[in-house]
Amino acid sequence: MGRYILRRLLSVIPTLIGVTLIIFIFQRLIPGDPAVAMLGEHATEENVARIREQFGLDRPAFLDRDALAEGDLTGFFDSQYTRYFSRLLHFDLGESIHKRIPVAETLSQRFPATIELSLLSMVIALLIGIPIGIASASRRNTALDGITMVGSLVGVSMPIFWLGIMEIMLFAVFLQWLPAGGRLSSGVNIESITNLYLLDSLLTGNIPGFIDAVKHIILPAIALSTIPAAIITRMTRSSMLDVLQEDYIRTASAKGLSERVVLFRHALKNAFLPVITIIGLQAGTLLAGAVLTETIFSWPGIGKWVYDSILGRDYPIVQGVTLLIALIFLLVNLAVDLSYVILDPRISYD
Amino acid sequence: MIEPKMKTINVEDYAVREHRSLWLDAWRRLTANRTAMIGLIVVAIFIFSATFAHFFWEYNPKSDLDYGAKLLPPQLIVSEEVPDIHIFGTDKLGRDIFRRVVHGGWNSLRVGLVAVGISLIAGGILGLLAGFFEGIDMNFYESLALMTLLGLGLGALPAWIAKQTFQIFLFAFLGAGSVLLNRFEDSRRLPRLIIFPLIGAVMGGIPGLFVAPLVGFVCGVLGLVIGYLLARPVAGGVFSNIVMRFMDVILSFPSYLLAIAIVAFLGPGLDKGMIAIGVVGIPIYARLARSAVLSVSQKEYVLAAQAVGESHGRILFRHIVPNILSPIIVQATMGLANAILSAAALGFLGLGAVPPEPEWGAMLGDSYKYLSSGAWWAVLFPGLAIMLSVLGFNLLGDGLRDALDPKIRV
Repeated sequence: MGRYILRRLLSVIPTLIGVTLIIFIFQRLIPGDPAVAMLGEHATEENVARIREQFGLDRPAFLDRDALAEGDLTGFFDSQYTRYFSRLLHFDLGESIHKRIPVAETLSQRFPATIELSLLSMVIALLIGIPIGIASASRRNTALDGITMVGSLVGVSMPIFWLGIMEIMLFAVFLQWLPAGGRLSSGVNIESITNLYLLDSLLTGNIPGFIDAVKHIILPAIALSTIPAAIITRMTRSSMLDVLQEDYIRTASAKGLSERVVLFRHALKNAFLPVITIIGLQAGTLLAGAVLTETIFSWPGIGKWVYDSILGRDYPIVQGVTLLIALIFLLVNLAVDLSYVILDPRISYD
Repeated sequence: MIEPKMKTINVEDYAVREHRSLWLDAWRRLTANRTAMIGLIVVAIFIFSATFAHFFWEYNPKSDLDYGAKLLPPQLIVSEEVPDIHIFGTDKLGRDIFRRVVHGGWNSLRVGLVAVGISLIAGGILGLLAGFFEGIDMNFYESLALMTLLGLGLGALPAWIAKQTFQIFLFAFLGAGSVLLNRFEDSRRLPRLIIFPLIGAVMGGIPGLFVAPLVGFVCGVLGLVIGYLLARPVAGGVFSNIVMRFMDVILSFPSYLLAIAIVAFLGPGLDKGMIAIGVVGIPIYARLARSAVLSVSQKEYVLAAQAVGESHGRILFRHIVPNILSPIIVQATMGLANAILSAAALGFLGLGAVPPEPEWGAMLGDSYKYLSSGAWWAVLFPGLAIMLSVLGFNLLGDGLRDALDPKIRV
């Protein structure tokens, strides 16, 4: 098993290099000269040349064959990509073009907001998806099952940005129960420990702060959790249906165990593996969906930041955040793969 | 004692039972499925209205402006004050929302079809070939083609470094030679793993020396490695591995984040959105096609076709493709739903259709800033159109899965 884990960890490395290559290529897709974009249309040629040299834009993309022909072996490998890659190894994601602040610095401030929103959405999705999936599988072909199936399809088909808008319309504009956006009302302060406001306000015993934070997070969290909840429901249902046909389930029922024990102790444990895979894949949906949800609810996380940066053509930020999300997505799915070994002793690798 | 119920069975009924094809059978199961029929009807309405509007209901988004009719709520009855009825109301520029929603359908369907087309063709072909050559041994000509291509691909690096195009062809010949050598019985005694790297080193190194000593050295080392890789013809599994690893890299991005990122860098536009959504979808079809081909390629009918000496092209297109169509059709239907959703998301973020072009996502993105004015109709109807069309394709896809494969009921 140890060898399997090691091999699986090592297999992430080529994929990660591929990911950095794709993100690097994005930069080359931008039409026009990035140096001119940085300085504006009216920049002098000298300034453009200076910026090009400063940011290494005068270097070739991957390898410098002219340097090699002149007998310079280190110059051969000194390219835009290798510079980009070695900066990444030092956790340097570059600098925002407009504000000249390191991307990594702003990222560390904004990331907790996205994590808080995504985690809460995942919790909501699990709380909805798993019980409904189980109930619907154990009462197959009843009205409940039918409603669940149609409901989950509606959930999968939901444009979450539209759902978010409709939520704001109903709860913030017409009923005025909840705020339309932001993370906290002005005037409310929460002492930051982890920067997850819900957790921080509880840790410091700040109850009004906690209530305010809940009021702000509830609408975006519901919007963001829709698609994962629907997918988890469907997966739990179909996986439970498979397991419920097994002989050991019939045996357990035949020997007189209560339905609850059969469902939860015998069936759910065995039905959980495919559900875990789906949960891992939903991590990506959540992080990508954050771009839309955060934009609508003015949530100060990385999603809104990416959106603003796209509009402002601040490409280092878009690159940095895309890389971070891809990295998290890879690691979550790696963790899912590894959890199989622990959850199901029948699976043996090597 | 209970009398067993006797049924009169007329044998002739069975003997003359009509011939039913797989597709007719599937169609009957589909029409018997109520939710699938709802999906089909929804999809048909959207396709019909969008196509009809595009060809017969003229609309010029650039000249559509009427500040006098700004943000009117939905109106069903013509009255003295309101001579024009707007059943979905009007937006901030006084444009009739119903008209724009109907015309927007054309853009959404177009994006869906083109994007799915891109992913289906590229992903399908890659997956088919990967699965086929992983499951079935390559013949001489296929092996020759693969090794020549491998030689071309690998040789491109030293050729580019030395600025000597002919090096590519030298390495292509080396790859082809590796396959040709297998035709000779005596070739087994040759120490290939020594000969090929040496030839490779000479092919890369000597021409490189004419440019500069260091270039000769680097190209020589590269040639050595390439020669080693080309020394033995690789099996189809290697090809499959290369393709699938590449697909893994694309899959390691959450799908529409990658689409957003691609369009962010390419610049906004419906055409670029289509390409981005299509490219992002390629790995799904590649994986699906590969695994389907692998599961079919060991079936008796494929083995039988091989045994009677049918050509690989014939086996692939006559025996394998028809048998893997159903999962791919299901995926393509669901893929349409996804593509419409992604396109709407791009439009909403201002990265898809360029205003004033009518597109559902862009209409939402346009109107949601005016929410506080209480103009609910400007966001309700475009969003409803997105949801219903996506739901229609999803219902249809779900029904198709049941209809095409009655064994699996998810």
